[in-house]
Amino acid sequence: MKALSLYQERDTIVHKVDAISKLLYIGISIAISMILPYKTVGLACMGVSIILLLIAKVFKKVIPLIGFSMIILLSIIIIQGLFRAGNKTPVFHIVNLIFYKEGLLFALEICIRVINILCAFAILILTTKPSDLIESLVRRGLSPRMGYVLCAVLQIIPQMITTMETISDAQRSRGMETEGKLSVRIKAFLPLIGPVVMNSLINTRERSMALEVRGFSSKTHKTFLNQEQNNNYNKIIKIILILLLLLAITWRLFI
Amino acid sequence: MKKIIVENLKYKYPLTNELALKGISFEVAKGEFIGIVGKNLSGKSTLCQALVGLVPHFYKGSYGGSVIVDGLQVLQSEISELAHKVGIVFQNPFTQVTGAKLTVYEEIAFGLENMGIQREEMKERIDDALKLLDIYQFKDRNPFDLSGGQMQRMAIASIIAMKPEIIVLDEPTSQLDPQGSEEVFKAIQNLSKQGMTVIMIEHKMEKIAKYSDRVMLLHDGEIIDFDTPQKIFSRKDLNDYGVTAPVFTKICKELEIKNEATGLYPITLDETYDLVVKYNA
Repeated sequence: MKALSLYQERDTIVHKVDAISKLLYIGISIAISMILPYKTVGLACMGVSIILLLIAKVFKKVIPLIGFSMIILLSIIIIQGLFRAGNKTPVFHIVNLIFYKEGLLFALEICIRVINILCAFAILILTTKPSDLIESLVRRGLSPRMGYVLCAVLQIIPQMITTMETISDAQRSRGMETEGKLSVRIKAFLPLIGPVVMNSLINTRERSMALEVRGFSSKTHKTFLNQEQNNNYNKIIKIILILLLLLAITWRLFI
Repeated sequence: MKKIIVENLKYKYPLTNELALKGISFEVAKGEFIGIVGKNLSGKSTLCQALVGLVPHFYKGSYGGSVIVDGLQVLQSEISELAHKVGIVFQNPFTQVTGAKLTVYEEIAFGLENMGIQREEMKERIDDALKLLDIYQFKDRNPFDLSGGQMQRMAIASIIAMKPEIIVLDEPTSQLDPQGSEEVFKAIQNLSKQGMTVIMIEHKMEKIAKYSDRVMLLHDGEIIDFDTPQKIFSRKDLNDYGVTAPVFTKICKELEIKNEATGLYPITLDETYDLVVKYNA
């Protein structure tokens, strides 16, 4: 079944780290590169993220993500390189557009930060099952209703897409044109969306009844089938991350 | 001991003018297997939903009379509270999948997690339920990847794992092939023998005749008759209520073959066989 998630199934150390540590890693690696605004620190954070992605064997999946953001990053480089206030030292010129050192360095800093953020999030998204992430958030006090909604969206949207395909196949088999020119496609879309929406509304009512009778709004304390991966090794990771953050703050304040 | 006591239950869905249930009263003892028959829109599903509290808590609407399930007054209890006592399996297996779980195993755990069952016990119960419904080999599949019949078994298993004292089944075998539905019926009969009270809506009359202790004939929101399957299916006016007798009974009705001792028509294959052999001898 198609799933609405970028999760990559691999058996690596990074996959075994719990979701909360990864969330913490995102926060701290972004915070550190903000607190210490040096390019070396930014590069180091980015390097760590990339190494983690390589260990998790998912680096290939990150390249299209970075490639997509390249369009924005390129425009930043061009605009800052050409027009940043305080541009003094020309570096090179294309025809008569002059690029300045100050602007380019500033653009580089932004690029490092953006890629850093992307890589940090990629670690979480590519190596954690969405359901595990949501479950660990529910354990930490996220309302189970909210958790259910987040989980269900990931599965029910692909289901709706399957329903749509079935309905459009049925309509096509009765002679409706659904392919070809844009106007034909739009015409075919309208009769399709009605049944899909009605269908999901009816399903939602039935599903909510089925949830209710399985104690969904029960007030007893929820238990979990899966055991939390809360071994020492995850605790050590969290402690190290927090220490690094504190170190960065003290560095910024006193040096 | 009476497990279910319904007294003069009346119910009207919101935005409708007619009563869906028109003053229903009956009692069910512990461990009984009750079949409910009747044509479409006769109030079968509404009655079942009244036992688990969906009527009136989920639908709202006007409600009269009382339903007491295992000592709990339905009108004053919450659905989640009633869920510990009574479970319901609906017709459409597809909408009973929570959609929040990635494997069949986790899917069945959903109700148990909400009830606050401890992990060890949860696993034991899930394994039992999966084996009982013969879907243990699919435990690691995605629930949406199952076939209709497997999904239906999963829906039953996820209620059975919650170990309710009463289980209500609304056409639980609509998606199953003959062999599959026979297996499901046998599994449910087993539970019934272990003391679980079973209430089942079913259109397969041969099955109802074979397995139920008593049959309730509903028509237009009223109970026409509530008696042993032999008596119900021997009624002459069954067709007026949109119900057909099991095929064995129909044949014997035409041939006028009755059980001498009771004066009723046979309802199962074995019974019919014996009587026909005797008739021809």
